[in-house]
Amino acid sequence: MSAPQTLMEPTADTSGHRTPAGSGFISVVVPVVERADDLVAVYQAFGRELDTRPQEHEFLFVFDGSITPAPELVALARQNNGVRILRFAREFGETAALQLGIEKSRGDLVITLPAYFQVQPKGIHLLLDAVSAGADMVIANRSPRIDSWLNRMQSRAFQSIIGGVSEQRFHDMACGVRVMRRSVAEALPLYGDLHRFIPALALREGFRVDEVAVPQHPGDAGMRVYGPGVYVRRLLDIAAFFFLAKFTEKPLRFFGLVGSLFIATGAVLSLVLFIQRVDGQGIANRPALLLAVLLLALGVQLMGLGLVGEIIVHLRAPHRRAYRVRERA
Amino acid sequence: MSSAAAPAKASVPTLSVVAPLYNETENVRPLVEWILQALETYPEAFEIILVDDGSRDGTWNEVRSAASDPRVHGLRLGSNVGQTAAMMAGFDNARGTVIVSLDGDLQNDPRDIQALVAKLDEGYDLVCGWRQQRQDTLILRKVPSWLANRLIRRLTGVPIRDNGCSLKAYRRELLQRIPLYAEQHRFIPALSASVGARITEMPVRHHARRFGESKYGISRTVKVLADLITLKMITTFRSRPLLGFGLATLPAVGIALVFAALWLFSLTHFGPEKAGALVFPGAGLLALGVAFYLFMLGLVAEVALSSERGDASDIPNAWEVR
Repeated sequence: MSAPQTLMEPTADTSGHRTPAGSGFISVVVPVVERADDLVAVYQAFGRELDTRPQEHEFLFVFDGSITPAPELVALARQNNGVRILRFAREFGETAALQLGIEKSRGDLVITLPAYFQVQPKGIHLLLDAVSAGADMVIANRSPRIDSWLNRMQSRAFQSIIGGVSEQRFHDMACGVRVMRRSVAEALPLYGDLHRFIPALALREGFRVDEVAVPQHPGDAGMRVYGPGVYVRRLLDIAAFFFLAKFTEKPLRFFGLVGSLFIATGAVLSLVLFIQRVDGQGIANRPALLLAVLLLALGVQLMGLGLVGEIIVHLRAPHRRAYRVRERA
Repeated sequence: MSSAAAPAKASVPTLSVVAPLYNETENVRPLVEWILQALETYPEAFEIILVDDGSRDGTWNEVRSAASDPRVHGLRLGSNVGQTAAMMAGFDNARGTVIVSLDGDLQNDPRDIQALVAKLDEGYDLVCGWRQQRQDTLILRKVPSWLANRLIRRLTGVPIRDNGCSLKAYRRELLQRIPLYAEQHRFIPALSASVGARITEMPVRHHARRFGESKYGISRTVKVLADLITLKMITTFRSRPLLGFGLATLPAVGIALVFAALWLFSLTHFGPEKAGALVFPGAGLLALGVAFYLFMLGLVAEVALSSERGDASDIPNAWEVR
């Protein structure tokens, strides 16, 4: 009686949808995008742990266009029905790989794993147990961390910027090891580069998201330095997510705030110029007049944009529900 | 708003009472008892829908035990989504043809429910409660509320004196036409008027809070004002955005004309060698640019909306005259 429902069908009856702990089927989705260890080793290490559990499992490796599956992995997929390989014809990125993996998987539970050792394989049990205990999604928090101070610092910076956006504080949102119920996986509004915000997205959709400390794997400890472009993209991702999280229902609150600041500045400037003109000074040769008009123009444009956003939100309201029913009595 | 969700506990109710609850542990039981008592004389089947809006205290346990009564249903939301969305959850799951909403904090009096429903049957789509002798603090609650209500009345033209009272009775068809989102529960009368509902209000009792604490502060006043202006613009122009944006270009065109006149004036009186002759046409062109931009934005709005048009919620409310 407690399965959360999709946004579109607030009254659909999903009683009995959630399978009791112990039964069910686990799908492991591994997006292979940039960094990849020996995937056969990843499969064996995590597969061995999952073998000890009562549930059946399957592995889906989703290869982005730029990476070719190793022959050993292809051979493994041929022998073993529990291993499937999917491939994009060109590069689509990690979010798309996750989406495809979720869509093609059949499990009642979906595990996402990075294509390299990020946590100790034994830790997967902790996550699965937390889902059995009632969480809709469980994410790993690499702890204790054993990697370099640089990685930790980057990670800390990322988390603290995001922290202000999400209602619940996550310590390691960027960790790729997650376990979620199928209903959660299918309800996630994934697109663009939003995979880094999956826990926050699930929370926003009204699911319960828990965090479990899992020891970090030594293979994840190497120093990582990225090009400046990566950091800029990351920041833009955060900005996009921030906007999405705060203003999708009220776009005019954002555009209106910025726009009214512009208009106010422009108006004050105009007023000053007007007073000076009345006072006898010429303003026709003052670029300040151009600035004032420009500010007013920009402000009006921003307000207009926000208003269009509001109209769109308003007209979509019949199809959207901001709540999710967790339980009925 | 399908009726498939809740298991058929009793015969299909014609009246649904919806109460959103957020951290109201002590209030749940008295509230349910009070409503049941007040509706004892109600001639038809009714139901009570308690919506637990992601409470962090024992509210859900109380709701569950209250739901042992077949007339009481509980909904537990996945996270705290706010009063508007919580009310929507209740409305979406209500089966009655008449729906009454009230606060979960015992400040509304369930004894008024039957009177509201009777008033609705006189031929209204929405009956708003109008709190008499409000039992709230003067400066923090009553004064902002009085100002906000006056403003809402002026801007929307709906003569309702108490928009903030949660105790309201609705006809089901009306709620299907005004899908609420964000923080719109305060604007239900205005939204209803915009789809052609027949609206009235009637005095209701109001009590001081007994348990728990208020979830409101004064900070919301500014937001309410901004939301109100937005709402006014949306409801006026939602079916014809190009008209709205077209009207908005007029001041910009006017400003452009003024600058053009100034330019011509300075050109004929001071001669073209004056450096300032450049600034007036520049500013005028900017204003003209804004006008053009707004017009284009209106077109974008038309395009963006074309796919959202034409469903049932677009048709204004009407009633059969007999």
